[in-house]
Amino acid sequence: MKAAVLREQNKPMEIEEVQISKPGPREVLVRPIAAGVCHSDLHFLDGSYPYMLPTILGHESAGVVEEVGKDVTYVKKGDHVITCLSAFCGHCNKCLTGHLSLCQSPEVSRAPEVESRLSIGGETVHQFLNLSSFAELMLIHEHALVKVREDMPMDRAALIGCSTTTGVGAVFHTAGVEPGSIVAVIGCGGVGLAAINGAAIAGASMVIAVDMVDSKLELAKAVGATHTINARSGNAVGEVLELTKGGCDYTFEAIGLKATAEQAFQMLCSGGTATIIGMIPVGTMVELHGVDFLMEKKIQGSNMGSNRFRIDMPRFVDFYLSGKLHLDQMISKHIKLADVNTALNALKSGEEARHVIMFDQ
Amino acid sequence: MATERIKSEITGTVWKILLAEGDAIQVESELMILESMKMEIPVESAVSGRIQSILVAPGDAVDEDQDLAIIEID
Ligand SMILES: NC(=O)c1ccc[n+]([C@@H]2O[C@H](COP(=O)([O-])OP(=O)(O)OC[C@H]3O[C@@H](n4cnc5c(N)ncnc54)[C@H](O)[C@@H]3O)[C@@H](O)[C@H]2O)c1
Ligand SMILES: [Zn+2]
Ligand SMILES: [Zn+2]
Repeated sequence: MKAAVLREQNKPMEIEEVQISKPGPREVLVRPIAAGVCHSDLHFLDGSYPYMLPTILGHESAGVVEEVGKDVTYVKKGDHVITCLSAFCGHCNKCLTGHLSLCQSPEVSRAPEVESRLSIGGETVHQFLNLSSFAELMLIHEHALVKVREDMPMDRAALIGCSTTTGVGAVFHTAGVEPGSIVAVIGCGGVGLAAINGAAIAGASMVIAVDMVDSKLELAKAVGATHTINARSGNAVGEVLELTKGGCDYTFEAIGLKATAEQAFQMLCSGGTATIIGMIPVGTMVELHGVDFLMEKKIQGSNMGSNRFRIDMPRFVDFYLSGKLHLDQMISKHIKLADVNTALNALKSGEEARHVIMFDQ
Repeated sequence: MATERIKSEITGTVWKILLAEGDAIQVESELMILESMKMEIPVESAVSGRIQSILVAPGDAVDEDQDLAIIEID
């Protein structure tokens, strides 16, 4: 099969012929139909997050089951599925206490001593987050996918694989936004737009979108923002405090920068909670004013929207099909696998929303 | 002889050790792979030299900033 292989950080990926192993007992071979390009892929491409190379990036996809391992009963050939990097083991402390997205068990990967799922001429290709979706086929653990309705368009379904689950999940699960809350979201890419949409679904009374690109702020309005602020003014915090007359109950950072994570905290009212979704580079510290803790301001991280994706993703599909989740607006372009480098470059400018790779069928 | 400690940048688990005590190691060459939140993270050497000791074993949990190995610098 063909896949976009990353051999060196900050170098374009090349389309290469890659060998994929046969499904093990609990593995599923999936033929992706669509794969979104997420900013997290770019963090690993540019090295702000290190990863073993060579690898095949991509972690936001939907497709069709091609073949299942002998112990898999959950799906069969032909089923439509969305993949998720939050592969859960189902029996560790995190899984059993309902925090499936925090499962750290290595058993959803292949052990280092056995044949790798992906290789080129005998050389291991490291699977990215147990998925590697910039490829014509994916071999994944059965706990890294969920079955979905067949009337769900595959390109929209792909977005649910990461950005929707991350953004909406951060609002619903990590933060638990109540109806009537005042919310601000900093960064209006695929993830931030999903958080804005989620806040609107949750019944927030005010949803303030902050970005530096006007077209993104327009998109934010289309998916549920009630107010927008262009951060180029340099005073996003002041503008939010003025607009809300004292700060937000919930803020979400969806960029991955120290400065905007600190701003998310500064935008809170007393008792408010800032949720950091963006991937801040490894080694970067975040600074807060200690006195703010007297006002019971809180800050927390969110990984993949604290999901239980086998429950969440089919619900998000229903939300889309019933008109609540505005995934159509979040896709700015459909591309071919060969154009994946261009899509990753486009993320650097912040000008465009999601690019979705459509695989030839 | 001057030595350098290789530290973990992240909390995770030792997935695979790629070199052995006594092996020569170059700047940026990979010593081991850590697993953290489903990521396979390489641990690289900042110096060239010889591996004096490896302080962890596959399957060990490691914390951010924990020493993983000691390198005798060339
Ligand atoms: N925690 C998780 O589980 C998880 C999951 C997926 C993605 N992420 C992370 O979420 C972040 C967002 O991902 P994405 O795919 O939506 O990214 P994106 O590149 O599509 O969007 C980022 C947006 O932020 C805007 N922006 C950049 N700098 C800004 C600034 N200083 N002030 C205001 N706006 C600014 C850009 O214009 C752009 O619209 C990334 O760091 C990504 O790695 C985290
Ligand atoms: Zn993502
Ligand atoms: Zn588990």
